[in-house]
Amino acid sequence: MSEQNNGVLPRGVTQQEFNAAVEKFRALLGNENVLVEQQQLVPYNKIMMSVENAAHAPSAAVTATTVEQVQGVVKICNEHRIPIWTISTGRNFGYGSAAPGQRGQVILDLKKMNRIIKVDPEMCYALVEPGVTYGQLYDYIQENNLPVMLSFSAPSAIAGPVGNTMDRGVGYTPYGEHFMMQCGMEVVLANGDVYRTGMGGVKGSNTWQIFKWGYGPTLDGMFTQSNYGICTKMGFWLMPKPPVFKPFEIIFENEEDIVEIVEVLRPLRIRGIIPNSAVIANILWEAGSGNVRRSDYITEPGHTPDEIQKQIQKDTGMGAWNLYAALYGTQEQVDVNWKIIVDEFKKLGKGRIVTQEEAGDTQPFKYRAELMSGVPNLQEFGLYNWRGGGGSMWFAPVSEARGSECRKQAAMAKRVLHKYGLDYVAEFIVAPRDMHHVIDVLYDRTNEEETQRADACFAELLDEFEKEGYAVYRVNTRFQERVAQSYGKAKRDLEHAIKRAVDPNNILAPGRSGIDLDTYKS
Amino acid sequence: MKSRSRMLPGRAALGAAVVLPLALMFGAGAQAAQWENGQELYDNLCGKCHKPEVGVGVPIQGRGLPFEYVKAIVRNGFRAMPAFPEAYIDDESLAQVTEYIASLPAHQPKQK
Repeated sequence: MSEQNNGVLPRGVTQQEFNAAVEKFRALLGNENVLVEQQQLVPYNKIMMSVENAAHAPSAAVTATTVEQVQGVVKICNEHRIPIWTISTGRNFGYGSAAPGQRGQVILDLKKMNRIIKVDPEMCYALVEPGVTYGQLYDYIQENNLPVMLSFSAPSAIAGPVGNTMDRGVGYTPYGEHFMMQCGMEVVLANGDVYRTGMGGVKGSNTWQIFKWGYGPTLDGMFTQSNYGICTKMGFWLMPKPPVFKPFEIIFENEEDIVEIVEVLRPLRIRGIIPNSAVIANILWEAGSGNVRRSDYITEPGHTPDEIQKQIQKDTGMGAWNLYAALYGTQEQVDVNWKIIVDEFKKLGKGRIVTQEEAGDTQPFKYRAELMSGVPNLQEFGLYNWRGGGGSMWFAPVSEARGSECRKQAAMAKRVLHKYGLDYVAEFIVAPRDMHHVIDVLYDRTNEEETQRADACFAELLDEFEKEGYAVYRVNTRFQERVAQSYGKAKRDLEHAIKRAVDPNNILAPGRSGIDLDTYKS
Repeated sequence: MKSRSRMLPGRAALGAAVVLPLALMFGAGAQAAQWENGQELYDNLCGKCHKPEVGVGVPIQGRGLPFEYVKAIVRNGFRAMPAFPEAYIDDESLAQVTEYIASLPAHQPKQK
């Protein structure tokens, strides 16, 4: 039987206590599902954040395949005060990947719980386990010729709906606000109870994935971005596959155009003329995802000068801003809405419209069209080649869908990033009223000095945005405590009161979103 | 389109029988961890970045990469390439994909 050889223990746990827990894990799960050797744990320690791997090294990883096993794991953790960090597919790149939030936490890997429990093509929903990937679900829908469509984030082929939705991730279709489309969760609580949200507690109910609210308090949201339970099943709604899908791009030449783009776009989104989570990608996002590399243009360190960005625009035909959206429905519906959109942008007098027929198979149009129609790909990972070196952290402040606000945030972010010699690589994901202003803080993680700069840069981005009343909607595990502070004391006090009530031994992912009974002082 | 082995009908809904009487309506309800074969793993995962026509990861086909090398990169990750634990890709599947990519023609870069 293998021995632990990585010298890492959970916070406050002795080797003897840890060993006793490991023995119980082995009895529960089998030796092959309890990983304690360094070489077995290495894959769980690969991060993209601006901190040493050691800060997020697990002491062990266990894999469960059933709800009963998850209950058993929780019981053992309570007995020995072992903190666990649960992952579904572990593909939360740029937010912490598969690594634990705190050094020494035991990974509970649910990748092997990968059953697609149900897909109902008439009521248009799915019910899945945590290890199911979007790619797996896509194949299932294709193989069975089901008339439904998925919505997912860019790492679609290899990430999964449970993890993405629990982290309140977004996609690019009309169902792109994923948590809004979630309906029914099964959650293993720290005391071992199995709790089903919404209608899930009603014996014989067939509306668990139909009606979200159930009766009394609705608690689904409490389990997202939190550490109050372990989601072991999740339902979510699927969009009916439309007879006609019409993706398009509108290319804008100047950085300042963002104000007018947003002012034209917002009414179209609020009125539902453009139904999907459209995106407005800047030149460097567009270039990176289109397989352009920084080294093709410049080898000097530091940020990429504006004149180089203009040269990329000239060489590639990409815009300073690139709006991607799509229409869905019958031909008549699409035709009507298309005319409205074309007229609106014609009135603006700016923007070059590109249709799928004109774009053909060129990137990044092709992968954008796929993401907007629920076809998985990994093309956006091209961003990581822009600067190279494997460093990436998402800085994602929420913005009003107002042109002046978007311009203000873009200018602020660019200024701070350039101060640290890094690039503003950004897209706005467009909801009717808000924007997820998603900025990929890309840096060379093989360069220690650059990694330290990226770390300081990210901290300053948080500070500077906070001063203006902005905060991020999601963050990597390196900065989760810092971001929790932005949201205020009353919220944190309540979150810890709930934590004391539902997980008094603090075994479930301590530190998640800044919730940690051992360290929080009111 | 081929089926993935982990999609095949398998074990009944675990601990969910009360609320999931229609769970197997479309033959779903499978649980398995293995990839069907090397081609399936390449087409659905590795190739999403590494196929020459994608251009995100370096081409790996037709290079005769040894299993131990492939395994080391997959388990450790490399720069931006993510690491994959055994729960995601088991050793046997890695061996199959190593054999499969070796059987494919090498990528011939276009002359500039």
